[in-house]
Amino acid sequence: MCGILGLLTTTGAQPPFETFLAALDRLKLRGPDDSGTWREDGLLLGHRRLSIVDLSPTGHQPMESSDRRFVIVFNGEIYNHAELRPCLSPQNGWRSTSDTETLIEAYRAWGVGCLERINGMFAFAIWDRMERTLFVARDRIGVKPLYYSNGNGQFGFASRPGALNMLLGGGLIIDPEALRVYLEIGYIPAPLSFHRDMRKLPAGHYLIVSARGVRRVRYWDFRAIKPDPSMNSRPEGELVEELDALIYSAVKARLMSDVPLGAFLSGGVDSALVVAAMKSAGVEHPKTFTIAFKEKGFDEGPAAARAAEHLGVDHVHETLDVNSLLDLLPTYIQEYDEPFADSSAFPTMAVTRLARRHVKVALSGDGADEFFGGYHYYPLMDRLAPLLAWRTGSKGAARQLLKSLPWHRTKLLAGALQSQNTVALFHFLRSVGKDYPTLLNRDILQSTANSETWFDQFATSFPMDLSAAETAMRLDAGLTLPDLFLQKVDVSTMAFSLEARCPMTDYRLVEWAMRLPMQFKVRNGETKYLLKKVLSRYLPADCVYRPKMGFAVPLAKWLRGPLRHWAEELIHDDTLMSRLPLDKARVREVLRQHSDGDRESHPLLWSVLMLLCFVQTHGARRALPVMAYREVA
Amino acid sequence: MAAPRVAPRLLFLFTEVCANGGIQRFNQTILDSCGRLGIQCQVLSLNDSPASIAKTLTPDNSSIVGFSGDRRRFAIAVAGALLRGRYDRVFIGHINFLLLTIGILALQPFNRAPTMLVAHGIEVWSGIGRARSYALSRVTGILCVSNYTRRRILEQAPALIADRLIRFPNALADTWGHVVAAPSTPSLAAHFILSVTRLDRGDRYKGIATVIEAFSMLADDSMHYLVVGHGNDLSFLQLVAERYGVKDRVHFMSGVSDSELIALYQQCQAFVLPSGKEGFGIVFLEAMFFGAPVIAAREKGAVDVVRDGDTGLSVRFGDTIAIKEAIERIVSDTRLREHVCANGRALVTEGGPFTFAGFTRRCAQTFEVGETIVA
Repeated sequence: MCGILGLLTTTGAQPPFETFLAALDRLKLRGPDDSGTWREDGLLLGHRRLSIVDLSPTGHQPMESSDRRFVIVFNGEIYNHAELRPCLSPQNGWRSTSDTETLIEAYRAWGVGCLERINGMFAFAIWDRMERTLFVARDRIGVKPLYYSNGNGQFGFASRPGALNMLLGGGLIIDPEALRVYLEIGYIPAPLSFHRDMRKLPAGHYLIVSARGVRRVRYWDFRAIKPDPSMNSRPEGELVEELDALIYSAVKARLMSDVPLGAFLSGGVDSALVVAAMKSAGVEHPKTFTIAFKEKGFDEGPAAARAAEHLGVDHVHETLDVNSLLDLLPTYIQEYDEPFADSSAFPTMAVTRLARRHVKVALSGDGADEFFGGYHYYPLMDRLAPLLAWRTGSKGAARQLLKSLPWHRTKLLAGALQSQNTVALFHFLRSVGKDYPTLLNRDILQSTANSETWFDQFATSFPMDLSAAETAMRLDAGLTLPDLFLQKVDVSTMAFSLEARCPMTDYRLVEWAMRLPMQFKVRNGETKYLLKKVLSRYLPADCVYRPKMGFAVPLAKWLRGPLRHWAEELIHDDTLMSRLPLDKARVREVLRQHSDGDRESHPLLWSVLMLLCFVQTHGARRALPVMAYREVA
Repeated sequence: MAAPRVAPRLLFLFTEVCANGGIQRFNQTILDSCGRLGIQCQVLSLNDSPASIAKTLTPDNSSIVGFSGDRRRFAIAVAGALLRGRYDRVFIGHINFLLLTIGILALQPFNRAPTMLVAHGIEVWSGIGRARSYALSRVTGILCVSNYTRRRILEQAPALIADRLIRFPNALADTWGHVVAAPSTPSLAAHFILSVTRLDRGDRYKGIATVIEAFSMLADDSMHYLVVGHGNDLSFLQLVAERYGVKDRVHFMSGVSDSELIALYQQCQAFVLPSGKEGFGIVFLEAMFFGAPVIAAREKGAVDVVRDGDTGLSVRFGDTIAIKEAIERIVSDTRLREHVCANGRALVTEGGPFTFAGFTRRCAQTFEVGETIVA
């Protein structure tokens, strides 16, 4: 993991170099081992390095190509770089064993086509000194982040929005659509960013920046891959074998490291599979890490310990009081420099903190749920989808009936029945703040589109006749995974200068998963059907077939207990609230209802609180936080 | 000496005739063909209104009665017509009328006219069910507009006799040969790609949003994208164009006349409609006839018309990268462009499989009218 930063100025003045260095310094935790800058006419490049491969100074960045035409800043890892080297011929031979050098030589040889050949997690920028163009790319799945800004004769980019914002002069102009979408689903899907003049480069895309402007191009896309019906007739054992081999290959590729490496191990299927593959790949006693909680409802410690025992790994665990996670709140607020409302960031940060005491790289199982059908709402989607085809009158009557019942779940079902199609149903199930519109200023509601339109737009490339669950999985894989879960992994691990690698996001595995018919993902309500079959090769059934727990924290209780006072202070801070287009009275009412136990509103409240913290942080650093609204036709 | 031929009388049950759309165009073409063959056509059309019928030029030997969407009146009229039994053939223009027709005909055990069904696209690709399968077994012939449609029906109703499913592709309407292109296209940029389609929420399978994304990735920023059509999804597509930063170069046009449309076909760099569910894709034939290179999706009925690298370029549905590359290829490779345009046009000009004359010959064979009648 590293941090990159750059600014290309075509007209106008560049900021002082000190500002550039200060912005680069904001990425220090991403790369504490080394830093470097590159200055030439109109261009500034900066790099913070976390040394993982080739620890010597020859891996220093920014790095020039062998012919000195190109200069690169690169964040990430190219797992197949050793395989690519024999196909490349740098002038005067290789200077290092670094994957950065391989990448820049690959670009020198193949241009944009290098993206088709590399397998890795990355965000990088390459400056062509001859053509005076900047090539900026992000990996296929979106493991590594990249933000950019274009306007006023300047193109800037950075690994994090905070650094880029500082480089561009600070100030906070909130994108109203991002605000709306954030309150609705708890994260901000690319290309939206919370800053109005900033964009997040979507996964699988590159940018070409030249005097003619900025062009954004998609170079890889899983959306249109059709499920392959011929796989239905293949023996299940053959598919298990094939999947096992793919996971093995993805994990083995990610063992490339010159520093100690381990893995996160929860009690779940995905991380256990990763660890099992590490063993198969020859890591005799991989170090694995788990956070256990004293409170039973949140504790996956015993399950992880059992898996570790069966797999024969060097297991490290730390038992915490769940409330002690609150010690991480300042880190959470500091490091998420874009509002982020997934409270599972707490345990992720805790396990990262633990792992970092022992290793510099950790493998994680992230991505398996989205590609192999892990979430509880996938089977639910398929069960609810037939109801959407009911006639309007029947649906209306059913909704009225369900709404009149006293249970929360029936009210939710009534809401779900309002959906017109499977994308809308997914949107309903996935949204965290179902009553968010009551909080937002009416102008914003009228002038912006909601998050469902982003889902709709993404789904236009899906194959015809996908099941509802398959539709949901692809939406999660393309939007929720990169912009929520992988963002959480990136920021949480970055906060402790640990590099996380996610083998389940290997593009070969993803393409295979897209072809895999649904019956091998969710069958009779059983999620991750085929993945569990693979894991059964390594672990006994009671370790494999156990309820999914996830990284939950008792947020609802926290907001009534230890965080109540903090939440009240934030929400009753008139100055702070006035910086956001929220209905103050309504927000306070939601907090009161939650505090008094009248209703459970913790997901929405947490979103609002993270938003307030974000604005507060910016307000403290910047003189004039301003609200502005973008016109949306 | 042969006895003088008596022109047959056919009853057509159509959803609609006097509008634009694939099924409507097919219905118009079959009536035009029947006109050439001297067949007397009585048409009962569910969705046409007397006003729309009055505005439409129909052959002299066709009589159309429209029911403005009134299903009850339509059903009564169909029952009356079938029970009177004065027709040599009954032609069911949509599978939704199949059960009604077969049910009514069951009430008339004698002098029952042979019945034919035309199977277009989406509506027969799934959900045929038992009742319809039975009804399908009662019709004399099923005219399938594409190989895909024929295959899907047989997959769902394997008991059907395969020979009764006749491949009966659509054809370019005769009228197109007589329309003159507008002298100048309506306020156009010089350089553009074109789509012509409905823009309803339910028609997202047409792939217009995917073309917008592909278009936004093109290096040539002088290129424009024209979408001819209207529907309730327009605001969504405009939002998509805005999000991809190309709203100034994506133009939605409706109310385009036939002569303007011809000019658009003739001047576009490519006709792009990567639709995922095209029953046949008559619009591809129109584009080909007027010399536009066609880019389609390798899906369903479109594959009968657009063969990759031969009569056009075909891409995987939803694959925006492939659409972008196909546009770039067709624009930059003059030889490829000329090749696919020539082969595409050959499909719809004399001797090609999708000409009006060929369609009329198929009608003559199907309705057992001597070919000598064909004009």
